[in-house]
Amino acid sequence: MIRLAFRNLFQNKIRLVISVGGVALALLLILSLDAVFSGVERQITAYIEHSGADVWVSQADVRNMHMASSSLPDSIEGKMKYVPGVVSVTPILYLTNNVVAGDERNLAYIIGLPENAEFGGPWNISSGQSLPGEGGVIINRNIAEKSGIALGDEVKILGKEFKVTGLSEGTASQVNSVAFISMKDFEKMRGSYDTISFLLVKVGDGESPEVVAARIQSQVRDVTAQTRDDFAAQERQVVKDMSTDVITIMNMIGFLIGLAVMALTVYTSTLSRRRAYGMLKALGARNTDLYLTVLAQAILSVTLGFLFGLALTLLLTVVVPLFGSNLALEVSLLSLLKVGGVSLVIAAISAMLPIRQIAGLDPAMVFRGR
Amino acid sequence: MSLARRNLFQDKTRLALSIGGVALAVMLILVLKGFLTGINRQITSYLDHSPGSIVLAQEDVVNLLGATSLLPEGIIQKAETIRGVNKAIPILSQFVILDLHDKKQPAYMIGYDQKQGGGPWELSAGREPRLKREIVFDRVFAERHDLKLGDQVEVMDKDFTIVGLSKGTTSWMTSYFFIRKRDAEELLLASDATSFLLITTSDGANMDDILRRLNNISDVNALTKEKMAANDLNLFAKIFSAPLKLMVGIAFLVGTMIVGLIIYTATVERQREYGVIKAIGAKNYFLYQIVLTQALFASLAGSALGILLANGAAQWIMSARPQFLIVFDPVDSVQALLAGLGMALIASIFPTRVVASLAPAEVFRK
Repeated sequence: MIRLAFRNLFQNKIRLVISVGGVALALLLILSLDAVFSGVERQITAYIEHSGADVWVSQADVRNMHMASSSLPDSIEGKMKYVPGVVSVTPILYLTNNVVAGDERNLAYIIGLPENAEFGGPWNISSGQSLPGEGGVIINRNIAEKSGIALGDEVKILGKEFKVTGLSEGTASQVNSVAFISMKDFEKMRGSYDTISFLLVKVGDGESPEVVAARIQSQVRDVTAQTRDDFAAQERQVVKDMSTDVITIMNMIGFLIGLAVMALTVYTSTLSRRRAYGMLKALGARNTDLYLTVLAQAILSVTLGFLFGLALTLLLTVVVPLFGSNLALEVSLLSLLKVGGVSLVIAAISAMLPIRQIAGLDPAMVFRGR
Repeated sequence: MSLARRNLFQDKTRLALSIGGVALAVMLILVLKGFLTGINRQITSYLDHSPGSIVLAQEDVVNLLGATSLLPEGIIQKAETIRGVNKAIPILSQFVILDLHDKKQPAYMIGYDQKQGGGPWELSAGREPRLKREIVFDRVFAERHDLKLGDQVEVMDKDFTIVGLSKGTTSWMTSYFFIRKRDAEELLLASDATSFLLITTSDGANMDDILRRLNNISDVNALTKEKMAANDLNLFAKIFSAPLKLMVGIAFLVGTMIVGLIIYTATVERQREYGVIKAIGAKNYFLYQIVLTQALFASLAGSALGILLANGAAQWIMSARPQFLIVFDPVDSVQALLAGLGMALIASIFPTRVVASLAPAEVFRK
């Protein structure tokens, strides 16, 4: 019966291509949306992951960076050095604003770095300086290219002109990029000199970041101390919590479309084999055998559709960035398992319609030439 | 044409499945577009309803959302001395992430002075914040997190009491909440700070002149509310357009494949009949018409059903998840029908090739 399912499926190549392609595209809807959000999760945590800090210290109850604001009195930096396990502290200033190059406006995390900052600077410089001096800015290479900006050109941030002294890699996402300026410029721009946004803490060799974070939390008032991993997880959680409903709705629509395509394919294919199924029935095949054939056919089609959909998604992850988009797609194992499960459900449901056809098939029909 | 109709209607289940498949694809396209239109409306809701016609921001700040603005000290007095300016209403605003029931909820905090304005424009219950650590939450947002009047909610480590519930101040992505400006200053450790001034003008004042004079003040940027709303829309359009286009493109391909499958199957099944018609002198052009008519019918019927389904789905989504606003533009429906037409044309390519390559004599050999 499995061989019959194979033959049914592969006999008409064009129908096979259309059905597998249709299911693949429906599954691609689910896979690619998941991949878009997974990509955003990775991009949004890139700065935190590459900061080099083991512990991030922020204003009390501020557990995020994206869409958040943190203000700490600069005196906290001094207190931090008395916490056992802390070997180095780098303060940074942060706000979200536009980097303006001509008519182009690009939203960016603006990071103010102290002179000779140990942590929190750009982690991959493609050209120019690795830390911003006064009047200088390091911006993302892709953003610079799109805006027609090169090293030595000027961009504006909050109305002040900055000379591009470095171009960084891996600092742009679908949402924003990261631009680095000196802390002195940041303070001048904001007209505020006694607050900082975050403290990036390095712990000593052999010290656990979790333990040091807990010590900071208990010894320093009005701060929230989180390990780098915890802080990044909090950022990912924002994307997850924001996207859950959207993903659910899109998944439902993708599922229904996949189901319609698959039901249509299995139904038309079974219909065109009515005589063959009638013949098998006349020869003594039981309904169960024929049901299994249809089910096997549906599972095979959906499996091929799943693999093709996955291949298309992987292709998109490579192709989309080539078009200069900052949209990064990332296929996660969880998404694969979910879509795999959805595929099986589609196969099972779509096989039910032809099963009714087969059950109602009269074996004598074949002899009547219908 | 009656042949095309008979081909299509002979198997009603197949026809229903194909129309249903196209309808789902069109529904997806419409829901995605309606979703984007809804986001756009929600994004500008504060600017659409707040007082004044001009917004004064920090130099080079052109957005309300997505950018941080801090105006220089003494700016209110400076702005109010400008001819044509009636009132300058200060607000201190900032995105914050609220942790509500283990869920991360981005929200846009507006710190304002109740006497001056700039707060919620419609309350469904309660009152505006008058006392220390009082807050107005969006009604839908509060419902989602099981919060009601009198409940406490933590914002940046400080407990606030909900004294009012506002309407029209939420979206799936974020929600506005309103507190006293002084409380916002305390939260942001920025006493007397102001992010934006909402400027009302005297009757008959020349807007261009006022903008020019305001922009002469150093370190500020004055722009109309409409311009700032448009900038916010552009900013979010940039973020959402790529994934949205990807989804719409896939939905279009799915619809095309469904119509292609059904028309191809119908054509192959009727190969002998087409051969007979050819053998008795019908031109290929006539057969193409039959194939295309079938494709057009399936696509347009699917598109029309898709439009109905999209409206139903939108209503269902908005009642189940009130934070979503899905708005259909009549142009979208026309575009959906055009998409259906495009699907039909593309889907006809394969079946017409089958018909074109058909040898009329074939039918007599079988």
